[in-house]
Amino acid sequence: MGISWMDLLINPNRFFQQALGEKEQLKYPGLIVLAGAIVAAAAGYFTGTITAAMLDSAMQGMGSIILIGTVIAAFVMTFLVWVIWAGAFYLISKIFKGTGSFGRCLEVVGYGYVPLVIGSVITLVAAFEYLPKVAIPMLTSTALQNPQLIQDATTALVNDPAMAEFTQISLVISMIFLLWSANCWIFGIKQAQNIPMRDAAICVGIPVILLIIYQLYNLAGM
Amino acid sequence: MKRGGLIVFLVIWLLAGIGETGAVATPESIVAANNIYVANMSFDPGAFFTGDAGTVTVIVTNGNTNQSIGVNHAAFGDKDFRLTGGTYDSSAILGPLQSRTYQFSVVSEAPQGYYFPTFSLNLREADNLYYRGVVQVDNTPLSVTVLSQPDSFTRAKKDTISLQIANPRKNEVKNVVVDIAGGSGVEIIPSSRYIGSLGSGISIPVDFSMTPEQECVLNVIVSYDNGDNHHYSNLTIPVTFSPDKKKANPVMSNIGVTAVEGVIHVTGDITNAGLSTANAVSVTALSPATVEDPYKTYVIGTLKPDDFGSFEVTFSATGGATVPLQLSYKDKDGNVVTSTENVTVPQYSAVTKKTGFPVLPVAAVSIVLALFVGGWALYLKRNNQ
Repeated sequence: MGISWMDLLINPNRFFQQALGEKEQLKYPGLIVLAGAIVAAAAGYFTGTITAAMLDSAMQGMGSIILIGTVIAAFVMTFLVWVIWAGAFYLISKIFKGTGSFGRCLEVVGYGYVPLVIGSVITLVAAFEYLPKVAIPMLTSTALQNPQLIQDATTALVNDPAMAEFTQISLVISMIFLLWSANCWIFGIKQAQNIPMRDAAICVGIPVILLIIYQLYNLAGM
Repeated sequence: MKRGGLIVFLVIWLLAGIGETGAVATPESIVAANNIYVANMSFDPGAFFTGDAGTVTVIVTNGNTNQSIGVNHAAFGDKDFRLTGGTYDSSAILGPLQSRTYQFSVVSEAPQGYYFPTFSLNLREADNLYYRGVVQVDNTPLSVTVLSQPDSFTRAKKDTISLQIANPRKNEVKNVVVDIAGGSGVEIIPSSRYIGSLGSGISIPVDFSMTPEQECVLNVIVSYDNGDNHHYSNLTIPVTFSPDKKKANPVMSNIGVTAVEGVIHVTGDITNAGLSTANAVSVTALSPATVEDPYKTYVIGTLKPDDFGSFEVTFSATGGATVPLQLSYKDKDGNVVTSTENVTVPQYSAVTKKTGFPVLPVAAVSIVLALFVGGWALYLKRNNQ
């Protein structure tokens, strides 16, 4: 395969012209998403330790189960989100009479995951720095029977200075790298669905911008 | 003539005998001897312990105004009082209205009771003079009692113990010294006190302070002299630690916990529920908490019984953790007394302030988003799409 990976980041139009000019294949996109899933699982391990610590005094032995569950969920969710993004782009492209297959959309979204994986690695480094500083509220078994207390503990965790700072930093990083990925996806969807650049920008831009606005709304409401 | 010569010889011999001795018991001399009397007999000590050595002083007075009396041998003795010194075997003349003192050393060998030893004096012109004195053998020692002591002893707390030294004997004792010992684990001030003489029926208070560092037994030894005889009285005072019923008892109440930007603020009241004043009352948080400004340690000051004061301490700790709050105060002697009360930091949710609006991240994402949208709009416009 004569594609240049550097083109994916700095000249995605040329990259996708070359990549999608060949036979449809999900090996490399799948490996990219797998890398993203591994990084997400590592980040999930960190956040899982916090949740486990919260519930440790209330449910002895549940910590490891929660930890494993969080790692698996983060790993699987990466693949699931890959499919969701591809599905969203595929469906919207059909409005603009896109002719490409769903598999091509998966391929494009998979290649476009590279900036997101880079962003996830940076977020993981930030997690190393911030999460150990978080003051974890611990829930007792009595507290677990009171939904208000559980909500209070969750709010306390979210509002912890270290946690809040980590959340903001990770959100900013993920949004910036999501836009980078979106930039790649636009060129990819254009090639994959054989639609004009404007339509491809709308296909990718609408769900991405909606997601970012939603994330900003959540961030502002912290 | 022979018979007449014998009578003359006898008369001369008798007269010569009188001239040699000059002591022929005549009715006058017997009358004069009756005026010899024991003016005083005294014992030192006034009352003996069994085994005590002492002295007996006898004063003999010639009550005749114009006639001297010859005395020979003086003795003092009894089976209960062994004579150890004082013998008077030489003759002497006691002039008119003169007195003579006889002193004897004796050792009492009798059990407790009253005794009547005899003084005898051989008179030259008449029979012996006998006199019986009365002396008591009393084995009652000085009494040592505790007048007052704390209801309970506390480690490193200075307390005062009051003793009473009393003399129930009928005679005065001398050189009374009180010594108190308790070993290395207790500081006693004063550990020794000289009282001097203590008269019959007299009592004297003796106070001393003691600061025990460990449980011990105080040995009070009262030494004194009965005459020249050394005697002791003992008293032991066990010092065991137990809660001081009159001590100050600062109690925390009305505890409130808030968390502001990760710093836990614990407020509350401290009431002195004890019976003594608590000085320099202060509160601070211990590990696992880390004390933080502005109230790393809160000093309330003095709390009299039933007084209360408010406090506030600030620290950082994990939510839900149990943090010991240390309450310390000084008692009247400066001893620092500490106690801890655990405070559970609640799920500090309800009391955690929300962080402010995240201006910077929202602005950063918004700008990047605007650049992204604007850039693409410009790109599409330039490419006529």
